[in-house]
Amino acid sequence: MTVALRLLMDRRRSLAWWCAAMAGLVLFTVSLYPSLRDQQSVDELVRELPETFRAMVGYRPDIMLTSPAGYLNARLFATLAPILMLVFGIGAGARAIGGAEEDGFLEHLLANPVSRERVATERYLASVALLAALVTVFALALAVFAPFFGALEGIPASRVFTACAAVFCLALLPSTLAFTVGAMTGRRGPAVAVASGFATFGYLLQSLATASSVKAVSPWHWYLNDNPLAHGPAPSAFWLPVLASAVLFASGLVVFRRRDLR
Amino acid sequence: MADAAIRACGLTKRFGGLTALDELELRVEQGEVFGCLGPNGAGKTTTIRLLLGFLFPSSGRSEVLGGTGNDPAIRARIGYLPGDLHVPREYTTNDLVGFYGRLRGGHDPGWVRGLLNRFDLDPDRRIGELSTGNRRKVGVVAAVAHRPELLVLDEPTSGLDPLLQHQFQLLVRELARDGTTVFLSSHVLPEVELLARRVAILRRGRLMTVSTIDDLRGQARQRLDLHLSRPPAAPEEFGRLPGVVEATVTDRVLRLVVDGSVAEVVRAAARLGVERIVTHDADLDEVFLRYYQEERS
Repeated sequence: MTVALRLLMDRRRSLAWWCAAMAGLVLFTVSLYPSLRDQQSVDELVRELPETFRAMVGYRPDIMLTSPAGYLNARLFATLAPILMLVFGIGAGARAIGGAEEDGFLEHLLANPVSRERVATERYLASVALLAALVTVFALALAVFAPFFGALEGIPASRVFTACAAVFCLALLPSTLAFTVGAMTGRRGPAVAVASGFATFGYLLQSLATASSVKAVSPWHWYLNDNPLAHGPAPSAFWLPVLASAVLFASGLVVFRRRDLR
Repeated sequence: MADAAIRACGLTKRFGGLTALDELELRVEQGEVFGCLGPNGAGKTTTIRLLLGFLFPSSGRSEVLGGTGNDPAIRARIGYLPGDLHVPREYTTNDLVGFYGRLRGGHDPGWVRGLLNRFDLDPDRRIGELSTGNRRKVGVVAAVAHRPELLVLDEPTSGLDPLLQHQFQLLVRELARDGTTVFLSSHVLPEVELLARRVAILRRGRLMTVSTIDDLRGQARQRLDLHLSRPPAAPEEFGRLPGVVEATVTDRVLRLVVDGSVAEVVRAAARLGVERIVTHDADLDEVFLRYYQEERS
């Protein structure tokens, strides 16, 4: 695991900044909850907004926006948290092979007695570990800060855990896609572009599409179809992204081991 | 007879419509210091990248230390100095050499310390903050830290000052004496002629010749500028001297291109009071050109 550990060491500062920012965001968000809790009018306001807007904040008629699950979902789980995780995950995935190769680091590394499969696998796993670390910090920040403001009332700890795991899976798929495109092309740009495009398209599908059969192909739909905090995420929020990631990773590896380095 | 350290059989690499390397046939013996010469874009780096398994050949094959460069077990026995060292800027020399040491199952710490001292490198400075020459030294240390059996060097001394070039040459000679095979590429003859006995000349992806340095030097034309105390009365007389291909006079500077010995020229110029002699690197491009033209005619 020497290659993976080296990558984790390389990214430790940037990871620390991301974690600090994420914890700050959680603290800021939960600290606003008490001021919103008793404003029933917010719920009525949202109820009258167009369907698209309500979908964008993950609103569901049976969950009050002023309840902890409704509030955290609208402020974090359906919006900022996954978007930040996606940005981080796509960056890490694109850097694993594509970015490193574009910067010329990969060739010098591969002059050592390490196979391409090993380098790609370890660097992918390290990127996944970085994403997992960020999600873990997010979950811990929530578990530590939210109770001070009553923002987790009525939500069991296990639900918080599974919801965070679902966010991780949501970000894992575009992150893996970025890895795969990078492994196939040896470039960072296309990796970031394809993965971001994929994530954005899925988000738009979930928000704008009306036919549920169309929505069903969006990873955001797998993740948000049920309010992950109120009901717990659907099983498909886990197995679909993990399965798709495994397929993507394997295809990236197959191409990477047989192609020319840039 | 021992197996060759490097063998290329019909090794060809095409990038789209461009043929970077065309049917290369090459054999480098074990323990040999072998040079690969050619102008930029001749296919030297492509050859190296094919040997190390960074590129896959379009056709033909190559053999390195009895295996292929794709095999990590073979790469364990190779040291590689790229033409341009690209490693993360925030790494220190210690980070880099330590990391590679772990990948290679541990370096001999005494040997690595000796290398760092020898090249006067501070192992705790970030590589991104180093000058070009110092970065080059880091590349050299990383390439030889595991005492490779085969050393592949791409333009090894470009960017090094003369003192360091000398240091580097001493190191390569020492390693060669201990049995290391050295394959070095360059676009200038001086970098190669002090180390290698045999060289291959590449041009536009094709092998023009494999020759010894001594033979090659005999073929290369020399360019020299003679700064004279007084301008020659009849400049054209220099053009008639044996071996002189070209003679031009600007003010008091006589520019000459000479094939073979320059003895006659120097003797003739002595009358005019030679104040300074500036020699330019033997012009290999002309050697390439000659091979190129010979082939066409």
